[in-house]
Amino acid sequence: MPLPVPEVPASRRLALDCRTILDHRVGKGVCGCCGALRPRYKRLVDNIFPEDPEDGLVKANMEKLTFYALSAPEKLDRIGAYLSERLSRDVARHRYGYVCIAMEALDQLLMACHCQSINLFVESFLKMVRKLLESDKPNLQILGTNSFVKFANIEEDTPSYHRSYDFFVSRFSEMCHSSYEDPDIRTKIRMAGIKGLQGVVRKTVNDELQANIWDPQHMDKIVPSLLFNLQSGEGVESRSPSEKEKESPVELTERCFRELLGRAAYGNIKNAVSPVLMHLDNHSLWEGKTFAVRCFKIIMYSIQSQHSHLVIQQLLGHLDANSKSSATVRAGIVEVLLEAAAIAASGSVGPTVLEVFNTLLRQLRLSVDFELTGSYDPGSSIGTKIIKTHGERQLQEAVIRTIGSFANTLPTYQRSEVMLFIMGKIPVPGVHPALSSSCSGPEGTRMIQIMLLKSLVQVTAGFQTTNMLTALPSSFLEPLLSFSLTEDPEVRLLVIHILLSLIDRHDNRPKFSTISIISDISVLKLKVDKCSRQDNLFMKKHGQQLYRHIYLGCKEQSSGRQHYENLYNLLALLSMELANEEVVVDLIRLALALQDLALSTEESMPVFNRCAIHALAGAYLNLICQLTTVPAFCQHIQEVIEVRQKEAPFLLPEDIFIEGPKLPPSLDKVEGEMLFLQSKITEVLGGSGYNIDRLATPYVPQYTDEDRLSKRKSIGDNISLPPEDESRNSPEKEERTPAEEITFETLKNAIVDSVGMEEQERERRRQVVEKFQKAPFEEIAAHCGARATLLQSKLNQIFEITIRPPPSPSGTISSGYGQTQSRSVPVYEMKFPDLCVY
Amino acid sequence: MSMEDYDYLFKIVLIGNAGVGKTCLVRRFTQGLFPPGQGATIGVDFMIKTVEIKGQKVKLQIWDTAGQERFRSITQSYYRSANALILTYDITCEDSFRCLPEWLKEIEQYANSQVVTILVGNKIDLAEKRAVHRHRAQDFAESQSMVYLETSAKESDNVEKLFLDLACELIREAKQNKLDNSDAAPMLGEGKSISYLSCCSIN
Ligand SMILES: Nc1nc2c(ncn2[C@@H]2O[C@H](COP(=O)(O)OP(=O)(O)OP(=O)(O)O)[C@@H](O)[C@H]2O)c(=O)[nH]1
Ligand SMILES: [Mg+2]
Repeated sequence: MPLPVPEVPASRRLALDCRTILDHRVGKGVCGCCGALRPRYKRLVDNIFPEDPEDGLVKANMEKLTFYALSAPEKLDRIGAYLSERLSRDVARHRYGYVCIAMEALDQLLMACHCQSINLFVESFLKMVRKLLESDKPNLQILGTNSFVKFANIEEDTPSYHRSYDFFVSRFSEMCHSSYEDPDIRTKIRMAGIKGLQGVVRKTVNDELQANIWDPQHMDKIVPSLLFNLQSGEGVESRSPSEKEKESPVELTERCFRELLGRAAYGNIKNAVSPVLMHLDNHSLWEGKTFAVRCFKIIMYSIQSQHSHLVIQQLLGHLDANSKSSATVRAGIVEVLLEAAAIAASGSVGPTVLEVFNTLLRQLRLSVDFELTGSYDPGSSIGTKIIKTHGERQLQEAVIRTIGSFANTLPTYQRSEVMLFIMGKIPVPGVHPALSSSCSGPEGTRMIQIMLLKSLVQVTAGFQTTNMLTALPSSFLEPLLSFSLTEDPEVRLLVIHILLSLIDRHDNRPKFSTISIISDISVLKLKVDKCSRQDNLFMKKHGQQLYRHIYLGCKEQSSGRQHYENLYNLLALLSMELANEEVVVDLIRLALALQDLALSTEESMPVFNRCAIHALAGAYLNLICQLTTVPAFCQHIQEVIEVRQKEAPFLLPEDIFIEGPKLPPSLDKVEGEMLFLQSKITEVLGGSGYNIDRLATPYVPQYTDEDRLSKRKSIGDNISLPPEDESRNSPEKEERTPAEEITFETLKNAIVDSVGMEEQERERRRQVVEKFQKAPFEEIAAHCGARATLLQSKLNQIFEITIRPPPSPSGTISSGYGQTQSRSVPVYEMKFPDLCVY
Repeated sequence: MSMEDYDYLFKIVLIGNAGVGKTCLVRRFTQGLFPPGQGATIGVDFMIKTVEIKGQKVKLQIWDTAGQERFRSITQSYYRSANALILTYDITCEDSFRCLPEWLKEIEQYANSQVVTILVGNKIDLAEKRAVHRHRAQDFAESQSMVYLETSAKESDNVEKLFLDLACELIREAKQNKLDNSDAAPMLGEGKSISYLSCCSIN
């Protein structure tokens, strides 16, 4: 208060004295003798009041007063003071007619004179508004608010230093919550409250001198008051047509809320959003979702778009803060995140991309833990809430969808980064217990695996890249493919889904979503581009892994219709997207190898799987032959298919990939013309310039690239390729020697062999060391950083290889990792940490 | 030039569990009645009463908050600028007494550090249903250095006294404060918990 304090009581007493003298006359009209003594401005003011307040403001006299005020602006302050003094008195005496007239006059003067310096006049004016707002009469409250709103729309040229809107914010917020009995009046009071708040915001938001309206002390009143009205209007739709024309409280509130948010600068977003979060918490509005989503839609659409990531961050923070709230609350927050991300689009993630995903993945993991342990706090047994599995499941689905929604907003390079990040989080069973789910055991590990793979399905959906090589580095592809070796059919299916998304760049995927013999593929209107150099390199590097993945996927007995359909899709997309001549040859070899697999009697494969593999190979050859456009090739395929249609329909997709397919008791009679002939295909394709030597060599699944001993690209590769797997992949070698007697010679050979092995190994290690010595530090660091998490999956690969017994004719597959210890190769276990040290 | 119709203005905020009788206390004091079938307060309620103490006009701006948890975010925002808090519980309701430490925590967190807090046990007309012994409450209040008073909004026991005592205390503090601050430059707005003329809006 800048006025000198000691003076105030004196002048006040004076004012009071004058008032007591004049009081007698005012109400009864001015008598001549005294009137002459009174200052002109007072007479002018008195004259605007009629004898009977019912008559309303005396218009002619009001004009005179206005004219006077305009021509003598220095008098404006005193006019204001006098008017408000009168008004004060009238309020106290319940002469409401005069109160309204005084307020009308104040409004008019304010409007007429606002271009002048009106600072002190405003003080009087606001004092009057406040006076009205203090009243418990709804009419006066509304009258005061209306005047305030008019004032709020005036731009003042000289802002006031010592004006505080604290009372107005408090009072308007309180009015927003009015519980006045009469519902009509209640609505009016509430709407007045909202308009008042809007006025305060307008008045203060751009004025640096004003108390900062964005301070929590104000925001914590304004925002919940708006939300309360936004919310309480929900469901009240039955309005009469005449009312529909007027703005409803909800509409008004929403408009006001949007305006507020639209004005929020970068630094204010947090203070504006925090009370929203709190309000939703306190009113348990996350559970219902709809209102929370509605609020945040308003927020996201109203704030300046460059600030949207701040809102997302706040939501994520709130999700973390609610880690131990019920699943429905968390699901509600996640749902809101999902919607908000969609609206914010490209800017939603902001500068901390991985942080966003990290939070979501953490929530996913926590939820799995909660679900499996049945408790939010495994440490304490008391006071734990009952966890509803159903709720957690829904939450997990919501988180996964949200991950997808965020990923959709990212450019390709960031999406690759996120894919790698998620991949690095996928736990590997039995390998790194400390890193896998904290307390849920193997089941938890499996569930998290599935959750994260589902997240990857989401992230990769719609992913399109021109450069497969950079978008899908080995550090992503290899662990991904390693998961395809598990016995878990769900995991394998997810891996195929991810591969399909990644490989499909021309939206061909839906065209192969079911598997069938298409006699003329032109109906599919396939889109095919020529393979780029990068595509060719990609297949050179990873083709063998992909073929192997398909081959082993077909072989798995737990593979069902969905697996075969998706594997077919994968073959088709590979042919569409990444096939040069060499790849085409390899794919044909693969198809033929699959036929052999289905025919093999060594494998105790069920009839369904055999038929399915035949059908898949047939359908694929039918596709690839048309893609090669070699007539003789097409003819051969066509002939086989026709024979099958007549004699063995169960070898065709149309008969096998249906509900309850009719299976033959055995496949002993599958022979001759029912089969595709390698020799025939080699012959016809050779005629068209394809590589005959390669075609004539049967495909045997290779675990690694053919050049794995020379051109090494990563330590990961080094580690993942134990030479032992060679023996595993060529069982015939073992078969050749069983009868051999153990002689000195064989023992010696064995020793020499192992020495040779050791040498080989030493050489490899030397190469690694050399690489580390020569490569620039950054490269190594990047390498190690990016692949740190990959180590786990590499280990997993090793285990997969070492613990899974080669398929035996009996078909019993010993599952469980109990065997791991006895079968694993200690050398590699030991070596791993050594390498890590680098 | 000032034309304020009061010498002092104080903001008083009532807090406490739902149903303890905050609204009834305020209405008894401001309107002189005990409202039959008083409904739960929504958000905040506002009332003004001007009293005269030793010839000085004291305007009390009373903010009555909802006890219901769901309104906590908005009610908290009203503690901050309060000159005094009336922390109320219901002597017939053990629960409302047991929640007092929580309320004190809220006060600690949100209110001005110089706020005057008074503990009120309401509904003493229901003596036969009393669940919290007077001494217990008294001891608790003392341990937290609060004044303790028992009231009945229904029978109008101690209600006047509650607000008038509070007003006297606030005047005393205001004078003290003024002395303390007489050298310092006048402060604006929220900085001063209790102040002459600079209280709540325009000066
Ligand atoms: N017997 C008796 N009943 C009282 C007294 N004060 C309040 N009540 C009753 O207690 C109930 C709650 O009173 P309110 O004043 O609405 O309580 P409140 O603290 O404002 O509650 P919220 O607004 O929900 O926080 C009402 O039914 C009142 O009639 C009292 O002094 N004696
Ligand atoms: Mg109440």
